Amino acid sequence: MSVRAKIFLLLLLVGLGAGVFYLRILSQRVFLEPSQRGEETARAKLSQIALQPNNGTTQLATLYFPLADENKIVAESRSITWAQADADRVRQIVLALAEGSHQGYGRVLPTTATVHAVFLAADGTAYLDLSNDVLSDFEPGIKSETLTIYSIVSSIMINIPSVKRVQFLIQGQEVETLDGHADLTTAFTPDLTRVKSNP
Amino acid sequence: MDNAPKPRRESEWRLPHFPLRRFARRWLFYPAIVALGVAAFFWPARELRSDNFIFYLPSGPHMLPVQNIGNAKYLPALQILNLLGKVGQVQEKKRVLKIGFGGAQIELLLNDPRVRVGGATYELPQTVLLSDGQWMVPVDFLTIVLPHLTHQAVEYQEGTNRIFVGDVKPASFTVRVDSLPNGVRLTVQFTDKVTVRTASSNGKWVLYLGERPMEPLEPSYHFRNPYLSEMQYDDQDGVPKLVISPTSGGLNFYPVQAEGGKILLADVVKPPSPAAQTVNPSPATTPSLPNGPPSPESPAPQVTEEVPATPPGPPLPIVALDAGHGGTDTGGHSRDGVWEKDLVAQYVARLRSELLTTNKYRVVLSRTGDVNMSFEQRALAANLSGAVYFLSLHAGDLGTPSSCIAVFTYQPGSDALPTGDASPPLFVPWGQVQETRLAQSQQLALALQQQFSSLTGVVADPPAGAPFRTLRSVNAPAVAIELGRLAPDQDATSLTNPAFQQQVAVEIVQALAAYEKGGQ
Repeated sequence: MSVRAKIFLLLLLVGLGAGVFYLRILSQRVFLEPSQRGEETARAKLSQIALQPNNGTTQLATLYFPLADENKIVAESRSITWAQADADRVRQIVLALAEGSHQGYGRVLPTTATVHAVFLAADGTAYLDLSNDVLSDFEPGIKSETLTIYSIVSSIMINIPSVKRVQFLIQGQEVETLDGHADLTTAFTPDLTRVKSNP
Repeated sequence: MDNAPKPRRESEWRLPHFPLRRFARRWLFYPAIVALGVAAFFWPARELRSDNFIFYLPSGPHMLPVQNIGNAKYLPALQILNLLGKVGQVQEKKRVLKIGFGGAQIELLLNDPRVRVGGATYELPQTVLLSDGQWMVPVDFLTIVLPHLTHQAVEYQEGTNRIFVGDVKPASFTVRVDSLPNGVRLTVQFTDKVTVRTASSNGKWVLYLGERPMEPLEPSYHFRNPYLSEMQYDDQDGVPKLVISPTSGGLNFYPVQAEGGKILLADVVKPPSPAAQTVNPSPATTPSLPNGPPSPESPAPQVTEEVPATPPGPPLPIVALDAGHGGTDTGGHSRDGVWEKDLVAQYVARLRSELLTTNKYRVVLSRTGDVNMSFEQRALAANLSGAVYFLSLHAGDLGTPSSCIAVFTYQPGSDALPTGDASPPLFVPWGQVQETRLAQSQQLALALQQQFSSLTGVVADPPAGAPFRTLRSVNAPAVAIELGRLAPDQDATSLTNPAFQQQVAVEIVQALAAYEKGGQ
């Protein structure tokens, strides 16, 4: 074997070793370490800003929560200090829903649910991009998914009149269903027949 | 002296002439192998298939999920005992699980192969494990320990996923293939009388073997001829059936039963040439099996169509039955490990039998077996067969502790098609076709809800709309029936009860009759 060939072989082996080492580190990052990426930190900050606006007006917002045994959604009032932009207000509503009902009604979203982004289109469609945490601890079913969707849609649209319909995205993608049942391929408008008057 | 360049040989054109050529041939091979090994190391793990273990009890078949841990199959201990009798007090300590069962106490020791029953100790070939909070025992528990607990005969063939307990005596069958001039004849000889219904699905022929439990001598039979490639026995959804795979499409399948149901003769033949084909016999007039000869060349590849025994006449209306979920989409689950996909398959099997018994309907199944089906494939099954009803069965948490049934019709999220006095549009988008059938669907839902109300101990929710994806593209009166309660904090005992399942099936058939009487 010539000297050049030996050098080439040595370089190849070093390169291969470095590649394997890098892949191993990469796999550990992907599979083992908790996701603490810049993007998610930014989202958390956005949510924090949305929840704690400095100089907004504080009003009683109406939130809707499921009443599964009656197949209805029911209103609950919550004091919210509104952010300036409507997109941030949508975020505030969703995070308030994730906080849960103070009156013991059903859960809409898990507490871990985060809002990736909210876009408001000129035609009044709010694109609500949720994390896939919305499906953690979620009981799939026709009724449960329907009530979840209409709780969110009704809560957003009754508080933010500029929103005419809501289109759901999960992890930035348009998905076919929430968890196997409810159709998320089209935008939603509220269904007032589902609202139960407060007892 | 000739300085002209020599002509290069052909092989030299393939690899450039550089000093490392020989080295490359000899030494690049090994790094390539290493690279392949690295790639194999990082290749994602194969997705696990969920298998069921079928318990054939005198009360009927019951399914439990089986887990492959290491090289052994494991089953959840508490669920086994729940199936076979009344479980008494359960005490769980750090490494010991004590279960009261039929006057005896069973002691399972974690990571230990020994099981104590009363004063006796039995040793299993594998240790008892804890998986996802469930105590798991190897399948050999069924043959080593179970007979001492139930004092009943237990029949289990090593390696299979089914067991027969008590008086349940499975039938079996032998298989033979003979040559015909233009095909082959498959002869299946059963040890007992069997009622066979045939269907075609996914380009295969399916022979449903009724309710009779079966223990095949071989799980599958492979053939070497130009017509048949394989025949498999499958009861993973609790419905015993033979799935026959032809080697190619375009073959005709003519099954006929003989000797009172003990023998099934099925001719698989090439269709006659167009010149020789004078009359195309209609399935309704073919006097072979009750449902005539299905062909794997059915219009809808995913459709399973079945018809009852009927005299020749106009074709019967078709009911499309949709068992929700399937394959890797398991749906919801209960505390005792019942998956929604398996549960609804049981309901669909019973409903199918009940509908065929009436001799008024043909049945199309949108899903046969434990397979993934898209929403469009499900709608396609109904639309291409011209179904007059579409019933989608699901189970979930309906928010009530007691048994509950809810019936849903499709509700668009927004932008519904114009209704009222306006004339319907000439062309309706595929994704909105159900909106033209909403009035009929709502009446059907009402008929079903009224019928379910007569079930004792069951809450029947008023019919409601839901943006349920499966119904969106169905061009027939379509409803989703959701059975409850199936949730991780509750056992599904009431939903898996065969008597309850049968009652639900009967009520649905009666609801269809009531709906038809209502003038539709």
